[in-house]
This record gives sequence, C-alpha cells and structure tokens, in this order.
Amino acid sequence: MVLHRAAFVALIALGAGSLLFDLTMGFRLPSDADWAEAAGSLRSRARPGDAVQIWPVWAERVRLFVDAAPVLAEEDLEHADYLEVRRLWVLSLPRTPFFRTPDPALRARGATAAGEVQRFGALALQAWDLHAAALAADLTRSSEEHEVDYVARRCLRVPPGGRFAARGTAGTALHLRAGIIGERAYDADRPPIAVQVFADGAPLGILEVARTVRDGTGWRRLDVAIPSGAAEREFLFAVSSSDRARQLCLQAWTTR
Amino acid sequence: MTDKALARALGFLTAAALAVTQAPVGFVRDEGYYFAAAQRYEAWLRLLLHAPLQAVAETEQYWAYNFEHPGLTKLLFAVSHLIFTTWLRVLPDALAWRLPAFAFAGLLSYWLCLLGLSRSRAAGVLAPLLFWCAERTFFHGHLACFDVPICAMWTGVGLAWLRGTGPRLATTYGLALAVKHNAWFLPPVLLVHALLLPRDQRTAGLRKLPWLLLSPAVLFVFWPLLWHDPLRHLRDWIAFHTHHVHYAWWYFGQVLRAPPFPVEYPLVLDAMVLPLPTVALLAAAGISLLAGFARRRLESQRLLELGLAGAALLPFLLRTTPIFGGIKHWLAFVALLTPEAASLLARVAPQPRLLVPAAVATLAAGAWQIAHVHPYGTSAYGELSGGIPGAATLGMQRQYWSNNVTGVLPWLNANCPPGARVYFHEVNVESYRTYVLVGMLRGDIRYAPDPEQADYVALQWHREFRDREPETWNAFGTRRPATGLYLDEVPQVVVYARPGLPGGP
Repeated sequence: MVLHRAAFVALIALGAGSLLFDLTMGFRLPSDADWAEAAGSLRSRARPGDAVQIWPVWAERVRLFVDAAPVLAEEDLEHADYLEVRRLWVLSLPRTPFFRTPDPALRARGATAAGEVQRFGALALQAWDLHAAALAADLTRSSEEHEVDYVARRCLRVPPGGRFAARGTAGTALHLRAGIIGERAYDADRPPIAVQVFADGAPLGILEVARTVRDGTGWRRLDVAIPSGAAEREFLFAVSSSDRARQLCLQAWTTR
Repeated sequence: MTDKALARALGFLTAAALAVTQAPVGFVRDEGYYFAAAQRYEAWLRLLLHAPLQAVAETEQYWAYNFEHPGLTKLLFAVSHLIFTTWLRVLPDALAWRLPAFAFAGLLSYWLCLLGLSRSRAAGVLAPLLFWCAERTFFHGHLACFDVPICAMWTGVGLAWLRGTGPRLATTYGLALAVKHNAWFLPPVLLVHALLLPRDQRTAGLRKLPWLLLSPAVLFVFWPLLWHDPLRHLRDWIAFHTHHVHYAWWYFGQVLRAPPFPVEYPLVLDAMVLPLPTVALLAAAGISLLAGFARRRLESQRLLELGLAGAALLPFLLRTTPIFGGIKHWLAFVALLTPEAASLLARVAPQPRLLVPAAVATLAAGAWQIAHVHPYGTSAYGELSGGIPGAATLGMQRQYWSNNVTGVLPWLNANCPPGARVYFHEVNVESYRTYVLVGMLRGDIRYAPDPEQADYVALQWHREFRDREPETWNAFGTRRPATGLYLDEVPQVVVYARPGLPGGP
C-alpha cells in the first residue's frame, strides 16, 4: 500500500513538474523587447573591430535584431580564430536548458572580461578583450563565406589543382586554415587534399586536409613561424589532390 | 456503453480530431510523392471505370511511380480524392487525400482500446490517449503516409492473431503487407509467440499460422503494379529497402551518416521526444512486460504485446538499419506498450476517484506539447531533452521533412512581388505544387533551384545543410534574415530576401 501510494505521488509529481517546466519555458527565453534592448545597447557601444558571438550557437534569431557588429556563431570558443576581432561581445541565453557558461573557454584562450554582464530580460551581454596577436596581413581577404565543419568561415574557395598567391606583410607567423566545404568533407574513401605554402618561393609548410571523420575536426590548422627576411613577401598556396571533385576553402593571415 | 462501442467511439473521436486539426499541417516531403502517386492512381481508377481492359493492360504506366511502397494506402488516398473532391467536390484536395490516414489512426485507437479493455475499462480509454497525447505521434496521425497506417495494422494483426479466425488473420496480415514492408517482420513474431504459449494454445496458434500463406493474395489485389511481371516488381520493392540510403541525422552533437549507429538510439530518441510522464509510464510498461516474461507469468495477449513492441524496435537496435525519420519508423513500439502502460496508470491510483488526477498528471504535458508545437511535429522534444531549446543545445536533429515551411508561407504570400522566385530548400517540387494547389501559396510564386537564382530563400535549419546559409549570404549580400519560424527561439525556417525587395533589408 505504501509503495502504491508512493508511485501515485511520484506520478503526480512527475506530471506536475513536467508541466511546470513546459509552462515556464517562456520565462527563460528572451522576448522581442529583450533582443531590441540588447541590439540598442550594442549600437551605442560597439566599435570597429568588435563582433558579437551568440551563445548557445543556435540563438541565431539575433540576426533579426543586431546590426551594430558582425554576428558570429563559432562553436569552439577556445580555439576559434576571431580574425580581426579585438573585442568580442558574448550575447547569451543563460536561462535556457543545459546552458553552459562560455567564460571558461574564453579565459582558456587568454581573453579577459571587459566589463560587467548586462542583463536584458533573459539575455546576457558581456564584452571580452581577446588580446589576440596583432594582424600583419589578411592574405585571403575573402568577402565570401563558406560552411566548413558547420561554421560559416570567411575563406577563399580554391579547387584542388589550383593556386592562390597574395602579397603581404610577413610578420612573425603565418596562420593557415583550410577545410572541405559542406558534407563532402565526410565522403569516405577520398584522398586527402594538401596545401603547400611558400613565402617568396621558399617552402613554409604543408597542411594536409584529410577526410573529416568526427564533427568539429574539419577546419584544419597550420601555424608556422616565418623566417627572417623581407618585410613584405609573396605567399603562394598550392592545393593538390588526386580527387578534384571536392571544394577546399582556405583562409590565411600573418601576425606580428 | 459496450466495450466495442467505447472502442468505436474512441476510434471516431481520433479520426475526427485529426481531421479538424489537419489544415495547418504542412506537406512533408514524402506526402508530396504520395499525392503525386495518388493523382496517377486516380487517373488509373477513372480509366478502370471507363475502359477496364485498357486499365489492366496499362497498370505499369500508372503504378510504376513510387514502386518502392505497396499500393493500398496510396490507392485509398486516390479513391478518397476521387469520391470526395473530384466527384462530390465536398472536401479540399489535401483533406481528401489524408482522410484514409485518419481512418487508420481511428483503427489504431480502436484496437489499442480493445487491448486495454482486456485489462480494465480505464485502461481501454487510456491506452489510445497515451499514444496520441504527444506532438510527434499526433503529428504523424495527420499525414497521408504509411507510418501510422502500418502501426495500426501491426496492432490489428496482433488482435486478429489473438482473437480472429484464420481467414481474418490472413486478410488483416495481407492488408498490412499492402501498407508497408514493416509487415515482413510479423510472421516470425507470431511464430515465436505460438511456440511460447502453453501446449493447447500453441497447437491452435500453429494451426492458424498457415493462413498467412494466403496473405500475399491481398497484397497482389491491392497493388496493381504486381499484375504484370510481379517477380521483377517484388524484387525491386525488396531491393529498395534492403539497400536504402542513410540520410544524415544529428544526434547529440554528431551527424550520423552511416552504420554502425548507436545501439540505444531508438530508445533514447523516444525518451527525448515524448513527454516525460509518458516516457516514464512506457518504461514501466516495458519493464513490467519483461519482468512478467522472465517470470513466465505473461498470458497470451501480454506476451504478444511484448513481442510486437520488441519486433517494431528490433531492426533499429541492429545498428545498420537506416535511422532517419525520428520515431516514426517504430511507432508500433510505443503503441504496443500503451495498453500495459494504461493498465499501470489505472492501477497506480489508490482510489478510483484519484484516477482522473493521475491521468491528467500523465497526459497534461503531452496535451501542452500539442497545443504549443502543433503543427510543427518533427521539431517536438520532451522535458527530458529540455524542450526544443534544450534539444538544440544538446545537438539533436532540429526537424525533418520540410513541413515547417508553412510557418513562413503567409509572410511570403504577403511580401513576394508577382512572379518572385523562391528557393524552398528541402521542400520538394511535389509539395510546392500541393501548397499552390490548396491555396497555401500564391500560384505566381515560382520554385527556384538554388539561392543564386532566387529572390527569396526559405532555409530549413538542418545541420547537414548548413552550407546553404552562407551560400545565401554570398548570393544576396546580406546576413540579415527577413523573417523566420522560430520555436522557443530555436530557428526552424529562416527567410532571406534580396535587399531592396519587399520585406528585405
């Protein structure tokens, strides 16, 4: 009888708890007014070199409201490059289920909070200084964006067999990122794509873009020191593969 | 009210509830194909009435389309449309095509009620309620597809096996075969069930089993494609499903593209999408049946329910069966657990007067889910996954089948200039034509093949199609959407307009 009564109470509690969770969901989500207020705040405070990172990354409704700075939806905050971004505004929905604060990932990359958290209803807004190395030259200067590994990347499409050359300030390090656009990155039994990098004809390194097996690993990285020499150099990126059906996207820049 | 009358009433109520709530339900990709098939079959039916010999001679011409699924349900869609729309002009096209699906849903309620009634009257009422009181199942009940019909027939074959005569079993199983290939798995279940019964029942069961040999005749009758060159068409049918493609499916942050899939996948997905109290009761029902089986205390009906539920799920535990489509491919697993779950629910109330609060507590979350999410059924998630926002954070499939586009059609109708080209993304051209046909989309709005050639773009958010959004940004020169369908803030369909066009930035 006690067990029976306990089961009844548990069922009532489960049902009531579930319904309570459902009915209160609206209070954990931002209203249009919250979005508009956050967008207004960004409009008055954003400067050139700022960007807005949404968190969680699915909160892309922000694009309807925020126009003061580029909206980014990077998934790996610790390792994202945030090229040319000096200050990052993290606009988050901290009351949503399974929310995990982005702060540890940002701190792990050396970023520091540049102000208090501002609340706009269910939204939280906080600026972060990224303390990124100063950009020497954006070599690819792509105005287009392509999806690689489920994130929109400002990168340049270069087919296997193609080359891309750019002249720019050498700085101290070259950063190359590359990945295969779209779902074809996961095609089985495909050979890797290699990107060879030269600076004024001297080889700097090779980045191999193999088939992506696990989500989150498809945007390959190569960071190399640039040997001393001329302040400005001709960089050449040669893309090669025996399979030319897939599209490679690459992004390259140098830092001081 | 007699038991049968109660079951019939629940069946009619189910069909009526689905008919009343079907209008806003978008046309899923497969429905587009089945509507197109039904139109061809209707043309064949009219030919059959006027020139029967010619119709019989030309079955291939009309029935080769959508050869991968048997004919019965599509034939019923066609008959319904022929009678209620073409001849009588009393129903709109979509409702006429979907009407037979509601009948199957009603049958499912009827049969679940009968299974529940063998335990108690309360269980008879609660079993169908437990099944339908969730947006995923409720949504699927609306579609002119095969998932709820085969779920119904799966249950119906069970009842025919338990209570029917040999001819009735043969007919019911033949109809199941003529609905969907899932029915291939039923004879082994019935055989194992018979073998596990006490001797006298076993003998009776084994004597009834050979009647199934007559069932393919029903498949043959209701699938005119088989009337010519049946072996080739049967081979094509089987080959299609034994070599079915694997569509990408997002699951806990990883896109599943090919086997092996996680063994726990179907059970976890059920737990994630259904309302939590329902999940708890179904889990209790499963445990109760398994415990009864282990102790050899299951009588014939409960043993069969366990077998049918398990058989509905088993292919998806093998790790190689395609897993796309949410829970729709193993709806019978949920359905066959509901009579036991309903019985447990009825028994958990310490006094009869406390049954209603217990039932309300169990069903309220599901009712809210329907009220809150319908008609966007493929996006529904339960409390265990944190609702739709929680599921998005966990990296679960956001939606599928493209029907959520209905959420932005009114905006497109209001804003698109005459002759505007719209890239509808996952919406196939068959569904697009049906939206135009039924008046949900303006007839002058054209179907664009890609964002480059479009004035407007309606992107359905799929992890595996993320490349389409930056493609649109590049083509349109803006990253600012014009509008969208967002469920609890989570993007489902995002609309972009070229700058300068009405509604655009």
